[in-house]
Amino acid sequence: MFLLACIFASSAICFGHSDAESAEKILPYPIHQKKMANGLNVVTVPFDSPGLAAFYIVVRAGSRDEIEPGKSGFAHFFEHMMFRGTEKYPNDKYSEILKSTGASANANTSLDRTLYHMTGSSDKLEIMFDLESDRFMNLKYSVQDFKTEAGAVKGEYTKNSANPYTVLYEKVLETAFDKHTYKHTTMGFFEDIVDMPNQYDYSIEFFKRFYRPEYSTVIVVGDVTPEQVNALSEKYFSKWEPGTYKTVVEAEPEQKGTRYTHLKRQGFPPYLQLNYKGPAFSDKEIDMPALDVLNSILFSEKSDLYKKLVLNEQKCRFVGGGAQDSRDPFLIMLRSSLKKTDDLQYVKDEMVAALEKAKTTPVDPQVLKDTKMHLKYSFAMHIDNPTAIAESLSAYTWLTGDPESLNRLYAMYDKVTAEDLMMVAKKYFVPEKLTIATISPNDSESIK
Amino acid sequence: MKSSYIKSIMILALVAFCDKALAQEIVELPLSKSNKVVIELMFRNGSICDPQGKEGLTALTASVVAQGGTGTMSASDIKDKIYPWAADYHGSSDKEVSIFTFEVPADFLQDFYPIVSGLILNPSFKEEDFSRVKSNHQNYVDQLIRQSSDEEYGKKFLEDMLFRGTNYQHMVSGTSEGVRSITLEDVKKHYSTFFTRNNLSIGIAGKYPEGFAQKMKADFQKLPAGTPPVPAPGKAKMPEGINVEIVAKENALGSAISAGFPLSITRSNDEFAALMVANSWLGEHRKSYSRLYQKIREARSMNYGDYTYIEWYDNGGSNMLPPYGTPRSSNYFSIWIRPVQTAKGLKDQYEELKHINIGHAHFALRMTLKEMDELIKNGMNQDEFEKTREFLRSYSKLYIQSLDKQLGFLMDSRFYGRKDWIKELDALLAKLTLNDVNTAIRKHWQTKNLNVVIITDKSEAEPLAQSLKNNSPSPMSYSNDLKSTLPAEILNEDKLVESYPMPVKQVNIIDSESTFRKSGMSDSKGVLKIQK
Repeated sequence: MFLLACIFASSAICFGHSDAESAEKILPYPIHQKKMANGLNVVTVPFDSPGLAAFYIVVRAGSRDEIEPGKSGFAHFFEHMMFRGTEKYPNDKYSEILKSTGASANANTSLDRTLYHMTGSSDKLEIMFDLESDRFMNLKYSVQDFKTEAGAVKGEYTKNSANPYTVLYEKVLETAFDKHTYKHTTMGFFEDIVDMPNQYDYSIEFFKRFYRPEYSTVIVVGDVTPEQVNALSEKYFSKWEPGTYKTVVEAEPEQKGTRYTHLKRQGFPPYLQLNYKGPAFSDKEIDMPALDVLNSILFSEKSDLYKKLVLNEQKCRFVGGGAQDSRDPFLIMLRSSLKKTDDLQYVKDEMVAALEKAKTTPVDPQVLKDTKMHLKYSFAMHIDNPTAIAESLSAYTWLTGDPESLNRLYAMYDKVTAEDLMMVAKKYFVPEKLTIATISPNDSESIK
Repeated sequence: MKSSYIKSIMILALVAFCDKALAQEIVELPLSKSNKVVIELMFRNGSICDPQGKEGLTALTASVVAQGGTGTMSASDIKDKIYPWAADYHGSSDKEVSIFTFEVPADFLQDFYPIVSGLILNPSFKEEDFSRVKSNHQNYVDQLIRQSSDEEYGKKFLEDMLFRGTNYQHMVSGTSEGVRSITLEDVKKHYSTFFTRNNLSIGIAGKYPEGFAQKMKADFQKLPAGTPPVPAPGKAKMPEGINVEIVAKENALGSAISAGFPLSITRSNDEFAALMVANSWLGEHRKSYSRLYQKIREARSMNYGDYTYIEWYDNGGSNMLPPYGTPRSSNYFSIWIRPVQTAKGLKDQYEELKHINIGHAHFALRMTLKEMDELIKNGMNQDEFEKTREFLRSYSKLYIQSLDKQLGFLMDSRFYGRKDWIKELDALLAKLTLNDVNTAIRKHWQTKNLNVVIITDKSEAEPLAQSLKNNSPSPMSYSNDLKSTLPAEILNEDKLVESYPMPVKQVNIIDSESTFRKSGMSDSKGVLKIQK
């Protein structure tokens, strides 16, 4: 069997010109949720995509949960191990069945979560449930599998290392954070990656801790019904036993002064990144929605700063950035690629000047209205297929545990006022919470 | 290079390409339930139209048009206007096409359309826009291509090697000297000559009113008349023997490998479907169940993945599914072995490997060629064929999940003389036999004549070159810890692989700084060492 020829996804989102700020939900499809007795949340969003379904599992464990020294990068490594098979479906059998589904399937890991996904024929949904439930409950791999897979992780680090931005990102996290596990990237410290083959016992512990129903959410979007998805969830996941582990991440102490990090790189354009400590994601507090709006106003291609530095003065090739959504306070990263190293100080001053002005000058009401509209239409334009919708729902699921946070966030955008923007500018864009990161051909940069 | 280019220009009146480009063909995909509209304007030109010495002109022209203004609106004005709608657009070029894609909520189509038509019919070509966009192109060819992804770098350099001396050789973005020499006048002239109403195909999809497509067609009649003098696309010459170019750079943690040889068929040929099955079995992009992935990554953990291709796969590091917008008539087969460890890296990591001379690149190449040889010799079996074909019949439907991809694949279909490639592919796959696939493998694949590019650290280059040149055994160097767990089956196979015959005809070590500087490889200063 294969997908029906016509999988033209459709979506019926329609914002009138005047009602862009209405209280309607941003996702125009109902989100059906059912919490199973073992704690597994099952989310279904029927969508008009004949013959097609996206099947996602979000595990709310990522590099944030790597609290023991020497174990950085383990959530990501474990994501790799999840493809090493079970007694019922050893690696080769798993691959054979997965191939038979004709699905696009993979997984990825980030700060706060690990995500497993398949998009394929909706009439193969039961096979997807069977495969996924088996490995989530019964993963079994040998020491050889474990040691072998560690090499693939090292290979991933190796290919990523060719990019200076990736190298700088490692340095930024290590500089900006002292205690919190956000100090290391999701890939982990290289020395920990090299040591991964020696951590077999810890990997068993990791599985026991996090691959549990209370950490997980099943999300299915497409040509399906909630009844069908709930029935399959009961059939395949009801025997999954909940655990008891709760990660206790050490809180990051307050940063009390500007920090610096630098990467010397010949033959690469100069680069400036201002990293301010930001808030954790919340769909109830106004801070993150206000920062999203403010960052779009200050740093999007429509912004005064972009026009000045990129279009008019042409000192920069790019200006942009914003706050990353995360479970614990992370960073607001403002970026600029420059033409000349000599302009690093000037560009930094211009970016800071824009932030300082935002603390005291109320934004034009029309600009505020346009920005809210921009955020909503950006989302609406994007969700024309099951994969895109499942991706969006996954993001809010890992942040709060509830996919409805997507709708709540966009409702919060409507509430953001000019005063909120000044409030968050004053609260977050202060030199004490700043880490300045640079790339240039020089040994160091002395940005003030 | 120069002579073949001039020859191409001279015979341009005879080439058939403009005939294939149906003037202002319209592809329509009305979807009343959609909330947006996607417009794709495809011009049949591309980097093959770049004049010698101005490599990058077509791509730069498309970028200047897309990132500039209209007769009445500056780039800044446009950004202000479309910001609330979250409308988006961009221009890009490949070897044989340039594409402008516009996406807008259906609510604002009528307000947005004057920007679409204004950019294409009346581009502002302001000096400040030109200098900004040119600077970014220059930055890409001078710096970013060498410093962002060794894998992408290797793929682009493999094209340089395969198509050397033809108009397909240089990167679409151009060369350092080529981009530097381009003036605003060049761009204006190139636009009026190569972006005409006679080499344009129009595509529109989504929720648009009746008659809108016809209005577009009428409006774009205002583009300059004239048939663009598009030269015949350069063809890759089959390499003689195995030729390796090692690009040496500072501080490379791994060795990124790309290899390939010319392929005479494209999606235009029905036989392509048969080769898709073979390719999927051997090295489907980012799929763990293909043969090379199983052998190199899964069993030996040498790298992050290993794949093969029977057509250009744009931005393979990011795209999980095949992209659209890069249809080509000059084709080649390629192998992508993701970065493997260098000797320097392994020595730093493992005390027991202090003695090694080279990293894993030579072994990985041997393993790949051995697997290919076995496939060519033995063919696929019935079970493998059936399963792979069924996979592709489902998987290919996923190429067109979003509206822009549905339209993009339809537009590409027309390039290949097809109406709807995804539909037609399914029909072709349905009637395939195992014999068709194995015949196609034997007809189109071989391992004796191959170009290979290895991007690696300077410390690895010379020993690796010697090892390749001398066809020396290249034993796999595992850490003791890993080796102690590996089954005899793998270690025994390693013994066969380490001495697998891989006669290399020539190895050049090339200084990274010399790559993509100008057209052709006449810059002998870049070749640090030639091994024969």
